[in-house]
Amino acid sequence: MKAAVLIKQVPDTTAKIDISGGEVDESGIAKWSISPYDEYALESALQMQKDVGATVVAITLGPDRASKSLVDAAAVGADELVHISHEGAIGSFALQTALAEAVKRVGADVVLAGKQAADTNAGSTASGVAKILNWPCVGLVSKIDASEGEFEATRSTVAGLERVSVSSPCVFAFDKGEDKLRIPNVRGIMMAKKKPVQKHTMADLEVDASNGGITESSVTYPPQKPPGQKFEGASSAPEVVSRLRDEANVI
Amino acid sequence: MRTLKGLYLSGCIDIMGYEALDFYDVDSLLTDEERMIRDVVRDWVDSSVIPKIENACREGVFLDEWRQEIGSMGILGAPLKGYGCPGLSYTAYGVICRELERGDSGIRSFASVQGSLAMYPIWDFGSEEQKERYLPKMATGELIGCFGLTEPDYGSNPGDMVTKAVEDGDGFVLNGAKMWITNGTIADLAIVWAKLDGVIRGFIVEKDDPGFSAPEMKGKHSLKASVTSELVFQDCRIPKDRILPGVKGLRGPFSCLNNARYGISWGAVGSAQACYDSARSYAMSRIQFDHPIAAYQLIQNKLAWMLREITKAQLLAYHLGEKKDSGTWIPEHISLAKMNNVDIALEIARVSRDIHGANGILDEYPVMRHMANLESVKTYEGTHDIHNLILGRHITGIQAFTREA
Repeated sequence: MKAAVLIKQVPDTTAKIDISGGEVDESGIAKWSISPYDEYALESALQMQKDVGATVVAITLGPDRASKSLVDAAAVGADELVHISHEGAIGSFALQTALAEAVKRVGADVVLAGKQAADTNAGSTASGVAKILNWPCVGLVSKIDASEGEFEATRSTVAGLERVSVSSPCVFAFDKGEDKLRIPNVRGIMMAKKKPVQKHTMADLEVDASNGGITESSVTYPPQKPPGQKFEGASSAPEVVSRLRDEANVI
Repeated sequence: MRTLKGLYLSGCIDIMGYEALDFYDVDSLLTDEERMIRDVVRDWVDSSVIPKIENACREGVFLDEWRQEIGSMGILGAPLKGYGCPGLSYTAYGVICRELERGDSGIRSFASVQGSLAMYPIWDFGSEEQKERYLPKMATGELIGCFGLTEPDYGSNPGDMVTKAVEDGDGFVLNGAKMWITNGTIADLAIVWAKLDGVIRGFIVEKDDPGFSAPEMKGKHSLKASVTSELVFQDCRIPKDRILPGVKGLRGPFSCLNNARYGISWGAVGSAQACYDSARSYAMSRIQFDHPIAAYQLIQNKLAWMLREITKAQLLAYHLGEKKDSGTWIPEHISLAKMNNVDIALEIARVSRDIHGANGILDEYPVMRHMANLESVKTYEGTHDIHNLILGRHITGIQAFTREA
């Protein structure tokens, strides 16, 4: 069995984001990491590797810097690495088409991805890839039990935990998983650098990068939080109580 | 015009998260692998050490999960090759020490003792059987080692040690006591230096050997998250094959110490970076007389001095790593770096404590813990003064350790 993990490199969650001219200023981002939900997908694929001997293929799309996330994936145990090079912004439809094509070319039986990327929060990649491949897609997965070609996935719902069965080929979109990504071992790191990366361009994959479907118009900072209010002395208690009850609705 | 206070309040000045000071971008000289190892260890310290260290210090324990996780990262015995050891560069070993000690000197001490003082002598001076038997499990942290050289009455002067080994039938019998032994009580094996017919030899003592005990020393104000013990040998009997065949005399323990001291020269930079980082962010956010205290010249002077000393220490450590890797080092090079870097780290911790004012004494901030730790680090592995004497002898050709000519 071959499990493809779709990995996006995003600014680390500790990185400070600057916006200028309606765009995120990438030059100021000191640290890039694998998007956290993708890490849960990767960890789940590595457990399939251990449990049913799955071959784990990490696939990313992005500029040169994104290859670092493939090395990070290899350091924890990904077997094959695929980098679709693309500089600059890309519409989600073109992105999904390219990823789906790469999944076909590596011959994967199952695709695992994060439910959304930590930077754009778009949440369309897994379902979009599933649509293009015409495979079923299970969303908000927290755990997968795999046997050869069959999967039992755990998902959280409003009511509680739901278990669903699905056969390959299929796509899983990961919510926060039950298992955090393992810590890499230094020997894994040394070997990861030597692991070959299959490089593709959008042209190789016969994907029209301009056919993105959706274009980002601009990015702005979220509105600033209004300043807090301060109440002093016992005499203000009735007002605090009424504000908490009538405005904040917390009591 | 935006005031400093305005900048702070608008969030433009970041006060969250650890930022490793690297003014000269010395880490750009590292290889990609070394930087990846740095990031792995740094992330591990952020997630597994920083949230737990203060409590571990209060309780005076080294958490067993640290042993397991350090073992699974595969960083123990970093520069050793073969027998399941990582086979990294000395520079990578230094980077690992620096990142661990940014968390706590006790964590770095654990790794130093395991790698440089327990694994290294087996790797360099042990028999093939000894290497096969111990090293793979020590590299994963499954077996813990300690190193017994110092005695209650012989610290800077280990050559006069009184612990003795006597050949007896099919084994050796050890008598004596060692003191200030990191990892002693939690160790599965001890590398013990003792005199056999008047010559210092290395022996491997296992924790269940008859006549061996390792009581923990309590009441430390320093390295509280590290285990420090006595090793007691009372007619302790060990089999013949536990002597390290490859070395005689003080060269054995001293070659271990060279590697450990090298790691400390990097580790101290980590402590200093942690104290600087805390001082800088505290100074930016602490408002007195209507301005962040960072706006005052006395504070800026202190921060600039810290930056200056840390930058010099980083360059010393990096260059010494190059010399270790190319084999062009002499022990005096290591003495200089260990002495200097621990000295400035301790002074930076003290000045950082000043900047933190009264808050600096709380365990909400790491500075007083680093300061107390560094008092030990300044003393162990060759005291500050002994390293000066090593350099003094190098300069003049005249030894000044003893009063005899």
